[in-house]
Amino acid sequence: MPYLSVNHSAFCNTGRYMAVNVSIPNETDRRERVAQWVDRHSGRIMVLPAVLILLAFAIFPLIASAYLSLSRFALAAGSFKLTFIGFYNYTRLFLGVQQYHFLGTFKPFGPLEWTLLAGVMLLLAAWLSRYALTGFTPLGFAGRLITAGLIGAVWFVVLATAVAGGIPGTLLNTLLYVFVGVFVQFVLGLALALLCAQPIRSRSWFRVIFFIPVMVTPVGVAYIFRMLADMQKGPFAPLSHFLGVSQWSWATEAWSARLMVLIGDTWQWTPFMFIVLLAAVENQPRDQLEAAHLDGAGPFQIFKDITWPTIAPVAATVVLIRLIEAFKIIDMPNVLTAGGPGLATESLTLHSFISWRTQDLGGSAAVGYLLLFVSTITCVSFFNFVVRYTRRYQ
Amino acid sequence: MNTPPDTRPLMRRLFERRSLDTLAPVPKFATYAILLAWTFVVLFPLYWVLVTSLKIQIQVDAGPYYIPFVDFTPHLDAWNFMLFQNNTLWPYMNSIIVALTSTILALLFGSMAAYALVRIRFQVKLAAIIAFIVLVIGVIVAVVEFAVPWQVAILAAIVLFFLALTSIGRRFKAALGNNDIEFWMISNRIMPPIVAVLPIYVMFQHLKLLDTQIALISTYTAVNLPIVVWLTRDFFAGIPLDLEESAEIDGASKFRVFFTIALPLVRSGLAATFMLVLILAWNEYLLALFLSNANAQTMPVLVSAQNTTRGPQWWYMSVLIVIMIVPVIVIAAFLQKHIARGLLIGAVKG
Amino acid sequence: MQVTLKNIHKSFGAVDVVKGLDLDVKDGEFLVLLGASGSGKTTALRMIAGLETVTSGTIQIGERDVTNILPKYRDIAMVFQSYALYPHKTVFANIAYPLTVRKHPRAEIEAAVKDVARQVQLDTLLERYPRQLSGGQRQRVALARAIIRRPAAFLMDEPLSNLDAKLRGYMRAELKHMQHELGITTIYVTHDQVEAMTLAHRVALLDKGVLQQLDTPATIYNAPANLFVAGFIGSPPMNFLQGELIDGGFSSAAGSFGTRSRATNPHAVAGIRPEDCRVTTPELGKFAGEVFATELIGDHALVTCRCSGSNVTVKVEKDFQRGIDEKIGIGFDEKALHLFDSQSGSRLA
Repeated sequence: MPYLSVNHSAFCNTGRYMAVNVSIPNETDRRERVAQWVDRHSGRIMVLPAVLILLAFAIFPLIASAYLSLSRFALAAGSFKLTFIGFYNYTRLFLGVQQYHFLGTFKPFGPLEWTLLAGVMLLLAAWLSRYALTGFTPLGFAGRLITAGLIGAVWFVVLATAVAGGIPGTLLNTLLYVFVGVFVQFVLGLALALLCAQPIRSRSWFRVIFFIPVMVTPVGVAYIFRMLADMQKGPFAPLSHFLGVSQWSWATEAWSARLMVLIGDTWQWTPFMFIVLLAAVENQPRDQLEAAHLDGAGPFQIFKDITWPTIAPVAATVVLIRLIEAFKIIDMPNVLTAGGPGLATESLTLHSFISWRTQDLGGSAAVGYLLLFVSTITCVSFFNFVVRYTRRYQ
Repeated sequence: MNTPPDTRPLMRRLFERRSLDTLAPVPKFATYAILLAWTFVVLFPLYWVLVTSLKIQIQVDAGPYYIPFVDFTPHLDAWNFMLFQNNTLWPYMNSIIVALTSTILALLFGSMAAYALVRIRFQVKLAAIIAFIVLVIGVIVAVVEFAVPWQVAILAAIVLFFLALTSIGRRFKAALGNNDIEFWMISNRIMPPIVAVLPIYVMFQHLKLLDTQIALISTYTAVNLPIVVWLTRDFFAGIPLDLEESAEIDGASKFRVFFTIALPLVRSGLAATFMLVLILAWNEYLLALFLSNANAQTMPVLVSAQNTTRGPQWWYMSVLIVIMIVPVIVIAAFLQKHIARGLLIGAVKG
Repeated sequence: MQVTLKNIHKSFGAVDVVKGLDLDVKDGEFLVLLGASGSGKTTALRMIAGLETVTSGTIQIGERDVTNILPKYRDIAMVFQSYALYPHKTVFANIAYPLTVRKHPRAEIEAAVKDVARQVQLDTLLERYPRQLSGGQRQRVALARAIIRRPAAFLMDEPLSNLDAKLRGYMRAELKHMQHELGITTIYVTHDQVEAMTLAHRVALLDKGVLQQLDTPATIYNAPANLFVAGFIGSPPMNFLQGELIDGGFSSAAGSFGTRSRATNPHAVAGIRPEDCRVTTPELGKFAGEVFATELIGDHALVTCRCSGSNVTVKVEKDFQRGIDEKIGIGFDEKALHLFDSQSGSRLA
């Protein structure tokens, strides 16, 4: 009986609705349809702003820069002229007049260099063949081949310049900052995190204070360290007088200059590692820790068996984040030493920047692209071989 | 407390803890010593900046003075000049506006995109991507080599793109899914800004937007989008689906669900991401250097500008660094717990 | 080895979690710490393990005072509620961990692990990882890791609560048998009274940090020391009637009846278990009421009666046929009646 009455009123309603329809245009209907269309395409609409922004500010410049790197830029008659010159900008960085700048000054190999080269080549070959024999996929092998190729090529350059007594170029400087810098920052950050995770008071205070360096603008940090490193007028002047080095300028020697850049970089970015690693250490599974304590494990055993495996995925990811950012380093070397002495502290970004300043836009774009190339291979390799490995238990 | 006296042999008493929530004396001392040492390492450079801002040129040139009122008389000259005489307010306001706006935009667009990538299935045809790249190259070549006006070139490219989509798109079905789109968005962070900055400069020059806040805001938003997508993606993946599904059954549109249900649920993660992106935008130097001049100058560029031909004017620079860092510290002190937790979640799931 | 707790107090800041706990666990005994959440049972267990410090009081294992000794020197092993297995170690490495940490020789470790694994039927799974095991298998790994050292005492923190009901029943029997074979003193924490009754030699019932009764399961069931124990143990729970006792005669709103006691107490509570009651006519019963609801359990039924404001549950045969609101009487044997003081809760003689 209720069912019938619903039907009945629906019939009546329809009649009333249709009467209304005739006199007023169905605006609600149109709004309803627009709303439904929006909802159906909501996925695309939500993604659209981000995609458009990235297309305009990332993809387009990327392609434009690629084109630029294949051309020669020349100012002409109030505007500019771009002439297509193929890969010339690149070849001169590897084999031509700019080789000293990018790769470095080569010296001939001695027996030491040959042995080291052979050793690394053998290791890489072993790694590749092990993959080829267990679970081979074409894409995986191609990826590993690229990674091995880059490692081998970089190692060759390292031997030919740094080890054989030559002068490293901007590529090696950048790799030094990236790998040594990130490694030191990681070790320091982990040590601080482990200490801060102990049962101590004022942990929050340490957390806030240690985080401050990350928040200072990098160019500011660079100037701060230039101030601090002044051997005559800086705060360590009495110390340098005492040690008898006050007349020596660290900026005149390649390795001391590089060290200063690394110190400044470490000061600024260790806190980043610290904050994330501290959160990871604090999030260790308490029951496993208690079980290990009951079983009689000492602090080193607990670190090896519980802490390290638990934080490994987070550690790998935070190292990856830092690697990505470290490749772009420019403020510290530019402000501290303007890339000097010579090119001892010049990073790839700084190299590109200097080329831009000298109107060599094509060369600048080429260096930038090579940086992108090296950076991408390194970061993707790191992700595939390290980050994924640490997540194998999840 | 009725703790009986410690009767263990000396080495045990020094090095082994008494219970699980305390430290033994020697490790405790070492821990505090190292942590306090690093506190000194962190705070000393900042102290030095503060002290330098209270000096005048002669004092800086004469050699290191450490403590105000004790070994030198502090002067507020640098502060006076920077705050009241120099036009510092303009770059400061620029910094605030550009940093806040770009952070909010990056958070809005990035979290929306991340949410869509987590909840909705996408399929982007490979053919479309290739067609897009080919057309962009075409536009660039046309504008540069053949002096085609850029508006015409872009319009032609858009038309050709849709034509290509409908014809080639039907034939080749290979497509990229959600994971690939995410990877593309996040991998844009790897790109060094120096590679992108020249074409962006040219683009803004043609649009007559050089040296405007808009140019900086849009560029900063683009540069920080990948981070927002990376972090918020994991927050959204972590919230349970039932709340959203029940809202949709009740008739809410996806946008309404996003703004009224999903976003509030991840607000502590959003706070962390906000802080991180704000710091990055506030401190950005290279892009501001290229894209701004007198009008849209931001604080980092102003800091660097204190390095004159006569040498760096440390006292002025120090004032600027101090006023740059104070607001950031204040905000971060409030949010520091959120930052770590947010980064942790983003880091674990990657 | 026996475990003795003397006057243990534990407070977290201003909150007292364990108050004046005295426990003596005999050598080889299976003692269950039973209580609701917040009763302090897990805290007491963790204090015995050394995972929590003691605010005051002493803990002895054997003859040794271990109150201020680190967990690893107390010679105890613990099975955690979440099993606490190391996810990146194999089952073999997990079980062997207590021995590898103490640097036992490799051959000895291997023999011990294989022996223990056979005891808990894990010998085929030694090379697996915890994430590849089912809940029951993981629990057995946790057990094996505890057994391998032959400690002075086992501590178990609700080890069966994460298993499904059927597996729980199976593991209860396994645990009881294993404890009997090994003869190691075991202290077991649970909130499930069925586990307590079936597993324990003696049960220690805790409420809000205070020990209510420490006795064998039978004694706790048949002679509860106070109102809390009487109401906690037994399913369905004991029926309570508020009233007053005059010279052994109990009178309440529901009815009056005589008791075996000769006491006088203006605030008394009479308790009678459902299975000790039977349904009769209103005239023949000790008190009367109407049927409120009937539930068929399977092999028996439960009748809830409303007797002047109080609910009384009676266990009856499965083909009980009375309608709702029907007037019935409830009878019981005086011997089965429990009397308590309603203010202090303690048992009246």
